[in-house]
Amino acid sequence: MWIRKRRGWEISESAATPEHVFRGRRRFLRGAAGLALAPALLACEKEAGAQGDGELAEVDPSAGLYPFERNARYELDRELTPEADATSYNNYYEFGTSKNIVKAAQKLPIRPWALTIEGMVEQPLTIDIDDLMKRMPLEERLYRHRCVEAWAMAVPWSGFPLAALVELAKPASDAKFLRFESFLMPEVADGQSEPWYPWPYVEGLTLAEATNELAFMVTGMYGKPAPKQNGAPLRLALPWKYGFKSSKGIQRIVFTAEQPVGLWQAIQGSEYGFYANVNPAFAHPRWSQESERLLGSGDRVPTQIYNGYGEFVAQLYPDQNDRRYFY
Amino acid sequence: MYPWLDRSGRVSGLKLSVFLALLLPGAWIAVAWAFATPDPAAGGLIAGAVTSATDAMPVTKALHEIGLWTVRFLILTLAITPLRRLAAWPALVQIRRMVGVAAFAYAAAHFFLYVVQQNYRFGFVASEIVLRFYLALGFVTLLGLSVLALTSTDRAMRRLGGKTWQRLHYLVYPFTALGLWHFFLQSKIDVSEPVLMSGLFIWLMLYRLAYRWNGEKSLALWHLLTLACASGALAMAGEWAWYEAMTTLGGSRVFAANFSLAAGLRPAWWVLIAGLAMALLKLIADHGWGRNRAAARTRAAA
Ligand code: HEM
Repeated sequence: MWIRKRRGWEISESAATPEHVFRGRRRFLRGAAGLALAPALLACEKEAGAQGDGELAEVDPSAGLYPFERNARYELDRELTPEADATSYNNYYEFGTSKNIVKAAQKLPIRPWALTIEGMVEQPLTIDIDDLMKRMPLEERLYRHRCVEAWAMAVPWSGFPLAALVELAKPASDAKFLRFESFLMPEVADGQSEPWYPWPYVEGLTLAEATNELAFMVTGMYGKPAPKQNGAPLRLALPWKYGFKSSKGIQRIVFTAEQPVGLWQAIQGSEYGFYANVNPAFAHPRWSQESERLLGSGDRVPTQIYNGYGEFVAQLYPDQNDRRYFY
Repeated sequence: MYPWLDRSGRVSGLKLSVFLALLLPGAWIAVAWAFATPDPAAGGLIAGAVTSATDAMPVTKALHEIGLWTVRFLILTLAITPLRRLAAWPALVQIRRMVGVAAFAYAAAHFFLYVVQQNYRFGFVASEIVLRFYLALGFVTLLGLSVLALTSTDRAMRRLGGKTWQRLHYLVYPFTALGLWHFFLQSKIDVSEPVLMSGLFIWLMLYRLAYRWNGEKSLALWHLLTLACASGALAMAGEWAWYEAMTTLGGSRVFAANFSLAAGLRPAWWVLIAGLAMALLKLIADHGWGRNRAAARTRAAA
């Protein structure tokens, strides 16, 4: 909205290319680019510095790893959503309140990108995303995705099970929850310059949820690195929960004994809760959750409890009639 | 009688241009929808030129934009009388009915788009309107606006007679308030635009009260300055109260943002600026073109 849009030119050059990004590029250039390529890349590095992350962002160092092998265990009952739809209709409040944040999101620097794991763990660690990918069992899964706003899509995600990451971290015996914190970069993310939201984006899971086989850390989609608007370089896919639980741009995972308060829960707790499992029987205060509109075709299909993943997760929740688990 | 003709049946430049301007947002939204494509390359040149947005859910987008224009046109309808008086431009009254009817037409299109978004499940739409308070508010507003639009033909106006017609059409104030309430309630969290529109609505209502209180004589500059400050302050207080009462976030953080430019000028300041612009308009009209117009009229008469 025009009230608080910041123009591109209002962002200083140094803010548009944070120093660590610049250093990251250098490292990348030294490592990956052959001598013949280097001059051309250097030329566009200058450009990128002036425009805020330009062409170089396209060269994802993990691109060569894709596509990952598909895990056939997770089947769809519907067509995959066209890639162009899934990558152009995005809720990502860090970059604005409309669905059309593709352009704004391109300013996010995604390399280097470190993930920090801390809190109640045996082995707190900070690990570079590309190193992390080398240590994780990479695979592709086809999942349905159900937004709390009653639209849905079906996406081939690439990534690794969250359980593998939990195993790496070795949680202490009294850790009960995981808190996921996304990036905080108001200098590139216009939405974060709205000072009243308690940024960064926070979401949470119980340890049992996080180690459920469905919980998936995403690095890519459609057999490629994920685009920035979809949460690159690291996001969650929790197909039995409403979409807002699947944080994007994750930088920190904290193991704790206290139930985390998600950003949406913090600002509108009556509408968005901690569990947020999909359930057509519990309406959002302003709309029915009985059906969902498919991105792309616009077809309407009935919504299923746990988004159809009950066989995997129903045992996590003691009471199907308790609203606490379903908003 | 066509909306672009004046009383004597001649084409009026003012009415014709306003008529076309009122069609413009709708036409723009329709074209953007027609060319909506998630893939900018596939949409080609036209899509690139008319839509900044690529869109996988064009119906929802059009629904929202038409809703916004409905409220804007309602506010504009209510602004015409003060504008006419402050700018000393009596001819403006000719376009008031047209803008109001356009607001109704947009509201009807907005409702139709909701039916499309719900894949034409009429029974479901009816039950949603009953179940969801904000939809019930929208529906009552739409019914109210349709009564006002239906009684706005020349024939209906003649049949009702000026006094009755006027009394009936005072209902546009409560209906606008209901529409604004619907606007607030449908927001996910950000109520900047509803606050802006409601702040303008507050100015328009305060103006009318002040005009009455002043014995229906033109308001002085200091009246208008007071109105501007009062509506800005009410908008700011209202925004605080909304977040305080309706969200877990609370009001104080948003209130504090009024005094920082980090996120741009907050809506209450725009309300103040709009109020000051009305005062400025009066100042200019009194000293500049008001006199020129009066002179022109005398010349024309002579
Ligand atoms: C039966 C009548 C109506 C229905 C069913 C209806 C339905 C809706 C729906 C479904 C939304 C979007 C909510 C969301 O996405 O969560 C909406 C938004 C909106 N409606 Fe209505 N509405 C009706 C009447 C009206 C009227 C009469 C007005 C104006 C006076 C109006 C103004 C708006 C506005 C301004 C928005 C917000 C647009 C935005 O900020 O994007 N609506 N309405």
